[in-house]
Amino acid sequence: MSLKYGVLGLLKGEPLHGYEVKNRFEAMLGGTWEVNIGQIYTTLQRLERDGLVRPVGKRGDRGKLLYELLPEGKKALDQWLAEPDSGPQQLHEDIYVKLLLATRIANGDLQQMLARQKRAFLQRLRDLNRLEERARRDGRIDLARLVRGALLHTEADLKWMDELSSEHFGTEGAAGE
Amino acid sequence: MSELVRLTDVTKVYQGGITGALNGVSVTVEKGEFTAIMGPSGSGKSTMLNLVAGLDRPSSGTITVGGTDLSKLGEAGLARFRRDHIGFVFQFFYLLPNLTALENVLIPAQLKGNTATGRGRELLEQLGIPEVADKYPARLSGGQQQRVAIARALINNPTLLLADEPTGALDTHSGEQVMELLGGLHRNGQTILLVTHDAKLATRNAARVISVMDGKIVDDARLESPEKAPSEVIRMRSEDPTALGPRKAQETK
Repeated sequence: MSLKYGVLGLLKGEPLHGYEVKNRFEAMLGGTWEVNIGQIYTTLQRLERDGLVRPVGKRGDRGKLLYELLPEGKKALDQWLAEPDSGPQQLHEDIYVKLLLATRIANGDLQQMLARQKRAFLQRLRDLNRLEERARRDGRIDLARLVRGALLHTEADLKWMDELSSEHFGTEGAAGE
Repeated sequence: MSELVRLTDVTKVYQGGITGALNGVSVTVEKGEFTAIMGPSGSGKSTMLNLVAGLDRPSSGTITVGGTDLSKLGEAGLARFRRDHIGFVFQFFYLLPNLTALENVLIPAQLKGNTATGRGRELLEQLGIPEVADKYPARLSGGQQQRVAIARALINNPTLLLADEPTGALDTHSGEQVMELLGGLHRNGQTILLVTHDAKLATRNAARVISVMDGKIVDDARLESPEKAPSEVIRMRSEDPTALGPRKAQETK
């Protein structure tokens, strides 16, 4: 998830100053990401350095400076939007490493670990359901779609836990012991 | 809350090794709870529901519903128990094709000697399908048929509503609508036991998820439902290490 392209995308609508970029960015993400204002300014300065945005007019009220998107910035944004996400699958969660270690250590606790993790995923599903409901209530269909993606991912995680639970575990698959 | 259902060491053995057997299951359900029972095919989850409904008898162990020990009831007593206390919604609706939607809804009431036409229409209205009252099932969509089946299950004000994969034969949208209806009934105090394989739909309403595997309860999870800040539920990640991401205060929890 890129702050750089988020900023470019917001500036495509109209010139904005740093605080407006911050507020709109956070509103767009429905409170799932709070951004530091310093980071917004750093990003704007880098984008200016790279010729993608530029400040317009003079410093206004309390020294605020408006930024606008340049044609090069629009081109970079369009290119980014058109590219599919084709990088490696991102696996951020600890459970992946825990599973590998638990298989090696084989202390017989794997089933309990899976059961605990399954509960955590069920709770997450419930929380995500709440969040999706709230987004729909607020008329934020775009955000509801994002939450829906997270729901389906968590459903897959749960299925994975079930599949692992029904396996017989040994250390035979853990090479390099 | 008070206890409504109690299974004590319930075992169900099927001749010929048919799947779905239960092996020493003990569990209680409180009045007003919305409980989901999940598990793979053949794990015994539907068997549990059928036993609680009095549609089938356990090989051993006892089942009480609302203080009534089902093993003490004969066939006629069990039929009365089902009629007066249980509403059952099935995956494939089971509406009678030669009766209209309203006539289908009224069957359980008529078995009790009531006409209840007013309440039948009221239920169809409440479930959002007043216009189908005089139509035959073949003319209705899957979602409409399932709502008629729910109205039929509710006509006698059951103590307990049992639903076995009620969204299993429906498209995503109709399934969500049916689950929303069940959620509404629960908010009005209806005790519901739901068998499903869809964890997304189950956790929408059920605050308790019982997992069944090979005839045994392997987990009984009670889920919390406090309002959480979006950043406590979803964390957007940045490739830029200097970006803050979610607020720090919540990270240190």
